[in-house]
Amino acid sequence: MNSLRKRIIVVSLLAAACRAGRPRAELPPTPGVAPSDTSCTLAASAVVSRDTVTLAVTAPVDPAHAPAPRNDAERLVFAQLYESLLRVDCQGRALPALARSWSQDGDRWTFALREGARFWDGAPVTAVDVVAAWRSRDSGLARVVTIADDHTLSVGKRAGGPDMPLELFADPALAVTKPAPGGGWPIGTGRLWLTGAEAGTPDLLVARPVGHGGPGGPGGRGGLPVVKITSTPPDGARDALDGGADMLVVDDPATLEYAARLRGYTDAPLEWSRTYVLLVPAGERAGVGDLRLESLREAVHGDARPAEESDEKGHPWFTELARCGLVGGRDAVEAGARRRRIVYNQADRSAADLAARLVGLGVLGRGTAAAGLPAAAFGSALRAGGDAGYVLELHARVYDACRAAAVELPPWSSAGKVVPLLDVRSHAVLRRALPRLWSDWDGTLRFASPTASP
Amino acid sequence: MTFRARLLVGFGAVVLVPLVIFGLRVRTVMADRLTAAYQQRVTSLVAVIQADLDQQSAGVATRLAALKDAVASDNRFRAAVLQGGDRSYLLDYAGNAMRLAGLAMLQIQDDEGRIVSSGHFRNEYDQLEPDLPRLLAAAGGTALVRARTPEAPFLALARLDSLRLGGRRFTLVGGIGVDSSFLARLTPDSELTIAVTVPPDSATWADPATQVVSTLTRPFVAEGDSARLLAARIVVTHSLASLTALRRGVALSFLVAVVATGAIASLLAAWLSTRISRPLTALAAKTAEVDVDRLDVAFESDRADEIGTLTRLLGAMTERLRAGAARLREAERRLAVGDLARQVNHDIKNGLIPIRNVFRHFAQAAGEGPDRLAAAFRERQPTVESSISYLESLAGNYARLSPQPTGEPCDVNAVVRETVSRLGDTGRAEVRVELADALGPARADPLVVRRILENLIGNALDSLAAGAGRVTVSTGPVDGGASGSGVRITVADTGKGMTKEQLNRAFDDFYTTKPGGTGLGLSIVRRLVLDASGALRVETQPGAGSRFFVDLPGASA
Repeated sequence: MNSLRKRIIVVSLLAAACRAGRPRAELPPTPGVAPSDTSCTLAASAVVSRDTVTLAVTAPVDPAHAPAPRNDAERLVFAQLYESLLRVDCQGRALPALARSWSQDGDRWTFALREGARFWDGAPVTAVDVVAAWRSRDSGLARVVTIADDHTLSVGKRAGGPDMPLELFADPALAVTKPAPGGGWPIGTGRLWLTGAEAGTPDLLVARPVGHGGPGGPGGRGGLPVVKITSTPPDGARDALDGGADMLVVDDPATLEYAARLRGYTDAPLEWSRTYVLLVPAGERAGVGDLRLESLREAVHGDARPAEESDEKGHPWFTELARCGLVGGRDAVEAGARRRRIVYNQADRSAADLAARLVGLGVLGRGTAAAGLPAAAFGSALRAGGDAGYVLELHARVYDACRAAAVELPPWSSAGKVVPLLDVRSHAVLRRALPRLWSDWDGTLRFASPTASP
Repeated sequence: MTFRARLLVGFGAVVLVPLVIFGLRVRTVMADRLTAAYQQRVTSLVAVIQADLDQQSAGVATRLAALKDAVASDNRFRAAVLQGGDRSYLLDYAGNAMRLAGLAMLQIQDDEGRIVSSGHFRNEYDQLEPDLPRLLAAAGGTALVRARTPEAPFLALARLDSLRLGGRRFTLVGGIGVDSSFLARLTPDSELTIAVTVPPDSATWADPATQVVSTLTRPFVAEGDSARLLAARIVVTHSLASLTALRRGVALSFLVAVVATGAIASLLAAWLSTRISRPLTALAAKTAEVDVDRLDVAFESDRADEIGTLTRLLGAMTERLRAGAARLREAERRLAVGDLARQVNHDIKNGLIPIRNVFRHFAQAAGEGPDRLAAAFRERQPTVESSISYLESLAGNYARLSPQPTGEPCDVNAVVRETVSRLGDTGRAEVRVELADALGPARADPLVVRRILENLIGNALDSLAAGAGRVTVSTGPVDGGASGSGVRITVADTGKGMTKEQLNRAFDDFYTTKPGGTGLGLSIVRRLVLDASGALRVETQPGAGSRFFVDLPGASA
């Protein structure tokens, strides 16, 4: 009888084991950073709590762009409001954001969403919401997603596509949002929420902690301050400081020099976030002359250094485009028919300075002129490849050089020449005794709760 | 061309030609004077530009002097340029100073010609450009230069200055832009344009037909591989567009004036020509009515001009024609009576000649004896009776005045034989008769045929030289035709014949070549033949005789 009971128990256990199917993969524990690690932390060394922080930006912030930023101001603001699955800190370390943990199986990444993750309106965030958000911005990526359950999804490699490094999922363009009823700011999952400008002050945006008198219930999360965001023209940055702004991200030397004269402010250089390159189509008859890179730094008015962003082989990542499979795209313009000009985005002062310096040096031959074009026209000219050269600003994309190249460079560039010129960075002017700020890989700052780890 | 048309053309020419000449002359004088005025304005403007450029150059020099003092006293600049500190301040210095000084270009070079700071092209620092200050100095300190910028070079009126810092010499090259707005400020007149051409584009095209041109030159620093001083040309042109428009307006006005004057002149000329030509036309129409039988047209006018005189002259002429025509008719009447009298005389003589011959015969016979007289009487009695009958008929015909031919069938051969038989003695002349057999009758009065034959035979005998020769009277059908087609009588002689002139006048009344002839014989023959619906034809040759053909219609025709 006992043997029978034993056999029954064993069969029952086996049957139960078969019904349970493949056991759920246990994701590795969340990678963490020790609370004492302040390598990517700005502002107060001690935890400071502020009810309100005023943030001044010197470029327009357009809700229609959210969550993918198109300038530094939007990058700073959107970083407070929206979350991707993870983020990459200034050391290049992938840290949890909307995903609490992840694992890799071959070419497939599996993410587990943060327990209790909610949109600003209190709705829980599910894997379906993640896929829906991606579908509107990268339908190819959305197609290779497999949803395991409400809080688990895996992403495979696209057929014929490049490898997908983990850092890809830190791209702000892949932040999880959903449209707001009636339009306006998309609803995100960040720790601060924003619905629109304050009545009567269209240039003032107020981001409030979730749960602080708004969506998400009372109490807020993590003791974050209310962030007031004021827009000021570029030449009004010093006025913003005089007006009591607590934080200003700027690259203007005059403003930095002025801030240094003010009591109570400190200048925190951010990460080298952008690289300027000279893009020369294949067969350019003039060739590229002496660049005198060491003298280029003086040509721009911001904080710059000779470009040295390199890949594992020591070359600038954007000069190794062949390995990205970006071949065959040649410019359709004959070398002799190219306009003798170096083209740049006229809204980019550093690009203008660099183009002027290149003309002054005669890098592409004497008689070549600099030509600033509006952003749209510059994009068209860049795609056409009908000019002698282009000064182009590339954002640091440590997560995927090939994807960055595909986004930022025209198809013909793989056959041409990409000459790195300068790395530039911005500075944060911070009032002392601010809450702690985290610095991401691209120099983006995020308010950290006094009690949270990075 | 009608008189009226000529009058119109002449009137138009008299009015319009002087007007056109006047208009062309006015246009020419106006164009010459305006062109001269424009040239004067252009020349004046060139002088003004010259003075203005000098003034602007002096202004640049003043500002450069002030900048030189500022640079010399700027310790931050001094430290940057001599000790290599604060590069950003140094590179931005020229730009800030240039804008504060109101200049368009400013370049600071060290003693090697290296650009240490450039206002118009900040990022050309450290470039060597020693030719610019050298050539500016060679040009007297001021010249036009092509200042480089990142985007495009621009033309500037530049001056040179220098200062010493720390034992080193630094040059300042500053200038103002010579662009379209600068040039536009030099002249408020929109018709005056100023253009600056610098080598290698030294050729400025100007059409003297549409522009008045004047130029002045300034030194120009041509940089590049072979930097040197060249001449830039400042070209002032005055458009002749207003003059052209004025000319066009004047031409239009004159055209309107010419058209209006031409129209008025045409109307006036038409009225005048109508007024003049209407009486002439009426006079012509009246004159056209005048004919031999219409001489009752009245030409009357109370006008005192030439037309009145012409009308009266035509009236007088018509009056004279009327009188002449009356006299002519009277003469014709008298001539006709005389003609009739002569014809009667002629016919009667033709009738009396046989009688006279008979009586001569009687006298001759009476001298031979009574028997002979009786025999002669019996022999010649028919002749007398025939002559008497002829005279009676003749009298009857004249009594009826143009009696109508009878048109009865006539035996032409019989009439020929009878007529020849009555000829009597013809002297040495031979009269031969050749009559056709079976000749059909002609439709003619026998008396008329006899008169035709008597006249033709008489003329033929008269034409024989010294009365010797032959006269042949023959008959036959016309053109040998069928019976009834007509009868032809031929009277041929071997006499003198006729010349062409004589032949042309042979049938005229009263034309004769015979002494004592009446000149009516052939005339009467022609009339009689025509009255009988016959035809008369003559073949003649001087010295060879004549041949008269009389074709009479057949009785059955």
